[in-house]
Amino acid sequence: MKLSKFHLPKGLRTLILIITAALVYGFLNAHSNQMLLPSAPFIALRPQVALPFFLGFVFGPWVGFLTGFLGNMIGDVSCGYGCWHFWNWHIANGVYGLIPGFAHYLGLKEIRTLRSFVMMEAIVVTTNVIAIGVAVLADLFWLRTMQFPESLNSWILPALITNIVLSFVLVPLLLVFVKFIVITVETRITLVLSWLIVSIVAISATAVTWTVWNDLASQADSIQAFYSAGIVTVLVVIAGFLISVFLAHHITDPLVSLGQAARQIEEGEYRLPVLDTLDKRSDEFGQLSTMMRRMASQVEARETRLKNQVTELKIEIDRTKQDEDVRGIVESDYFKTLRQKARGFRTMSRINKEEEINDATSKDDESSSI
Amino acid sequence: MSKIISIHSFRGGTGKSNTTANLAVSLAQTGLRVCVVDTDIQSPGIHVMFQLNPNDIDFSLNDFLWGKCEIEQTVQEVFTEDSKGKVFLIPSSMRTGDIARVLKFGYDIQLLREGLMNIISSLKIDVLLIDTHPGLNEETLMSIALSDVLLIILRPDSQDYQGTAVTVEVARQIEVPRMYLLMNKVPDIFDKAETIEKAQAAFNCSVIGILPHSDEMMTLASDGIFVRKYPDHPITREIGIVAQKILE
Repeated sequence: MKLSKFHLPKGLRTLILIITAALVYGFLNAHSNQMLLPSAPFIALRPQVALPFFLGFVFGPWVGFLTGFLGNMIGDVSCGYGCWHFWNWHIANGVYGLIPGFAHYLGLKEIRTLRSFVMMEAIVVTTNVIAIGVAVLADLFWLRTMQFPESLNSWILPALITNIVLSFVLVPLLLVFVKFIVITVETRITLVLSWLIVSIVAISATAVTWTVWNDLASQADSIQAFYSAGIVTVLVVIAGFLISVFLAHHITDPLVSLGQAARQIEEGEYRLPVLDTLDKRSDEFGQLSTMMRRMASQVEARETRLKNQVTELKIEIDRTKQDEDVRGIVESDYFKTLRQKARGFRTMSRINKEEEINDATSKDDESSSI
Repeated sequence: MSKIISIHSFRGGTGKSNTTANLAVSLAQTGLRVCVVDTDIQSPGIHVMFQLNPNDIDFSLNDFLWGKCEIEQTVQEVFTEDSKGKVFLIPSSMRTGDIARVLKFGYDIQLLREGLMNIISSLKIDVLLIDTHPGLNEETLMSIALSDVLLIILRPDSQDYQGTAVTVEVARQIEVPRMYLLMNKVPDIFDKAETIEKAQAAFNCSVIGILPHSDEMMTLASDGIFVRKYPDHPITREIGIVAQKILE
């Protein structure tokens, strides 16, 4: 997008983009281990998780996948885990970019409606679950580095929860920044409402865990506390999002109907069935809808009146005057002579034509007789 | 079988010369040899449509009618569509003296007819179009008397109606074999089918076509042939249909 300002071949530009993004992602991965949840040393806050999602949505599957994959590898190497040791997590990070990339590939190039916004967030949540699922399954069947179900409880699920919340909140923010999310009334309302709800939930959840955590004795207790807080957070965030979508829909749907009604009027269709449900609302939209209907019927009435006036093509002929004028001409001597001559001409040309036909047929006869 | 078609309108400004020229080209485009005769001796104009310079006209219809030349010497070829289709033009004189003389003495129908017949046979003309003078003077009646078909052009305008009604009746009295109305400059607001129906009922005459009012036509004015400049325009299509129907 922004890189198009550089006049480099497209392939080279993509390569530079992938390398830069992977380096940034790797660097942030290597250093984010210090950013821990308040008093929960086993879970790292990794806001950079939004990066592969974002790049996948904007640039497609390759950029998304390679950023996640290489970035995780770089992070592992710089932390001293080695290049291939946890390869399943490279793949999981790649999947973060891969699935949004497929969405891009399949046509999600821009978000301007509620529908596409919801779809984007649904992809973000699902991708998180799939990616971690892939890593866990790979470990179960090949690597066997984890202990089940302890690892699952102690860090995998908590990581999934924090990643979901972070990507859910940050990916749309980044997408707004590059105008992938186009600010329309629908997206604006959804963004504002969902951010409001998410930030309230996140702050209160953090506050609650902070207070509770310091009094917890064992790690098991704190995990238990995290679960309560974390799961509640995820549920409330998703529920809040759905509520904001519902509210946004309630606000923007009338606008869409009014727009359709305006188009119908433009096309000369004045019955406006799209406004049927809108009429029943008691709010401003209901009033607007009633006004629009009234306007349409006025326009229709005026148009019909105008049409009747003009298209009633009136051909009025004064028959008395017509007869007089005709008589004035046809009763003149000149006309009578002319009519006589014209008759003569027509008889002549008829005879000529008959002769022509006779000639033609007699020629045919001759040719056939030969 | 060649056909003589007179194109007439009761009043001026109906687009008669314009329609005649376009009809001629439209017919020539179907491979016919067409000759346009400008008998509008009092106010000739169709040569402008074919961008014929008055100085290039050696002999006009007037010269033939006064025995100054042969009819063949008056013919100008003004349009060619491949090798077959052609439009020839017999112009009228543009000299004011000539015009005054015609107004004073008139001319003989027998002579006019012989001239036209000669042209038809010597140039192998399929369709002869006569661009007449508006009104119902003797020359116009003569043209109508010589024609197989009379095409009357009118606008949806109350002033055109009365004259058109008289023309239709007079033409019927002169026993012209076929007669059509062509409505020109019709605004889009009129319903086409309804307009045709009403006109047919009022004039007791078949309506061959409706040409809509067109800004392009207005802009082009007399600077060329519309059907050539706008081959895909709805008006061009309508003129094509008229050209087809008129030969049936």
